Amino acid sequence: MALLEVHDIGISFGGLRAVDDFQISIEKGQLYGLIGPNGAGKTTVFNILTGVYTPDKGTILLDGQNITGKNTMEINRAGIARTFQNIRLFHLLSVLDNVKIGLHNQMQYSTLTGVLRLPRYYQVEKEMNERAMELLHVFELDDVADYQATNLPYGKQRKLEIARAMATNPKLLLLDEPAAGMNPNETKELMETIHFVREKFDMTILLIEHDMKLVSGICEQLTVLNFGQILCQGKTADVLHDPEVIKAYLGE
Amino acid sequence: MAKVSLKRLQKGKTGEKGSRDKFITLLLVVAVYGIVQLLVKTGHVSSLIQGLLVPMCVYSLVAIGLNLCVGFLGELSLGHAGFMCVGAFTGAFVSKVLRDSIGNDLVLFLVALLAGVAMAALFGFLIAIPVLRLKGDYLAIVTLAFGEIIKNIINVLYIAKDSNGYHAAFSDAKSMQLDEESTVWLINGAKGINRIANLSNFTIGIVLILLALIIVYNLVDSRSGRAIMAIRDNRIAAESVGLPITQYKLMTFTLSAAIAGAGGVLYAHNLSTVTATPTNFGYNMSILILVFVVLGGIGSLRGSMIAAVLLTLLPEVLRGMKDYRMLIYSIVLIAMMLFNWAPKSIAFRKQLAAKWKKQKTQEEA
Repeated sequence: MALLEVHDIGISFGGLRAVDDFQISIEKGQLYGLIGPNGAGKTTVFNILTGVYTPDKGTILLDGQNITGKNTMEINRAGIARTFQNIRLFHLLSVLDNVKIGLHNQMQYSTLTGVLRLPRYYQVEKEMNERAMELLHVFELDDVADYQATNLPYGKQRKLEIARAMATNPKLLLLDEPAAGMNPNETKELMETIHFVREKFDMTILLIEHDMKLVSGICEQLTVLNFGQILCQGKTADVLHDPEVIKAYLGE
Repeated sequence: MAKVSLKRLQKGKTGEKGSRDKFITLLLVVAVYGIVQLLVKTGHVSSLIQGLLVPMCVYSLVAIGLNLCVGFLGELSLGHAGFMCVGAFTGAFVSKVLRDSIGNDLVLFLVALLAGVAMAALFGFLIAIPVLRLKGDYLAIVTLAFGEIIKNIINVLYIAKDSNGYHAAFSDAKSMQLDEESTVWLINGAKGINRIANLSNFTIGIVLILLALIIVYNLVDSRSGRAIMAIRDNRIAAESVGLPITQYKLMTFTLSAAIAGAGGVLYAHNLSTVTATPTNFGYNMSILILVFVVLGGIGSLRGSMIAAVLLTLLPEVLRGMKDYRMLIYSIVLIAMMLFNWAPKSIAFRKQLAAKWKKQKTQEEA
């Protein structure tokens, strides 16, 4: 059984059918791309998958567990983590703290333990620091661990967002336009990072992207959305040569 | 490279600076206490200023409470005078009822403090349930209304004790049919609570401030505190990493109200009569506390305490200048605002700090 099974989900905003009959099946370890023109409903799909919107029909199964209609927090705990198209960091907190917040549900102690500074506080905080530094090291952010997140350059902010998502120990990672606003060098570095995350953590990744170089470079499977509906689905090479896709999205 | 920075981090470059900062604040409070006590003993403090010592502690406490709400939770509350009011009346009521049964002043105060804090926390919790679904301006308006409602309710609340036991009434005191001879008023409507035991003093005030500071500092620098600030910085991202938003908001708002309640208990036991008037528990007081927080620096507990002390002291010190009093007060407000918030002033202070640091390292070398 696939890690993520989505059957016929759909949602309307007013009279607009933003997404309809959307289905996808992602195997464990796959790197899956979701592409399509602006306004096709890609981010809406992400928002449905992460519980920001509740679909008016269809089901979502993660690892066999039905997560349809659950809220964002529950879905994250079930194992889906995401990044955002416009970066959403905890900008006034340090880089390290951003990742430690990602670890919130992995390593716990009560509020009272924290206020009273019981031994468990020091023990768990130390473990948290070590785990967070390991993650930052993987993303080559360890040398800026004590910077305020807002002071990082753009490319590193993107990386930090991925690191924070990975800290929640997800089964599936959703990346919403990770290369948006990046220059070719940064994009190349990002491709390597995504590749690396997948290898190192054996992670399943679904990403939205407009950068065709990145998509054709790393994605194995693609789904093309157009006006809220699936235009084409399949192996990357096949999809990118599909005449319908070329007409609707890539340009002839 | 990782090992180097991990080591640096375990020493805690940010953490060290942060905790040193907190330590300085605590030390400052203790130092101020020591100096003031010394000056009082040697007779260098006028009775006017001596009378302001407890109110300054009260306002510092409430400002710490509000700063937790505004600075760390990121929610604007205009109702903290209301929580202070709840704490003041509950505390005064409890100490008046139990005065005969508890002989020790300190124990009596502690019981009153617990009751006042618990009641303020309860009100904070109840208010927070519906209110924290609102954002920004709406939250400010609802908390503002809460503060006014509490004040008005207490103004029509009558509780008395006579030979037949306890009586309570709402708005109509005569309906209690008291036996006039043996009546002891506990809460007499708009006349409030009178003959309150004078249990507050400067030492208790300072101890409460230190306690509040330690609680807030420890909370902020813990797993829950990070979650609270994450929710402030980006609610959507906080949800996406699995933080229970409502739970943390409720907890923080309740704690914030509880600290304001502690300020109220301290306030009430410094007076012989406490009434709920617009000047002490009204909208103006809520705004004044917010002014302490904003001028002192949102998120800076030390700053809000300094602002509370200065702005309490100033009108009284300037009393001799009659006509120019409010003028000078407002100029000081503007100057503080510029000092704390103007970009150029911030840059200048940073420059100064960097220069000082450089000098220090050179000296060390």
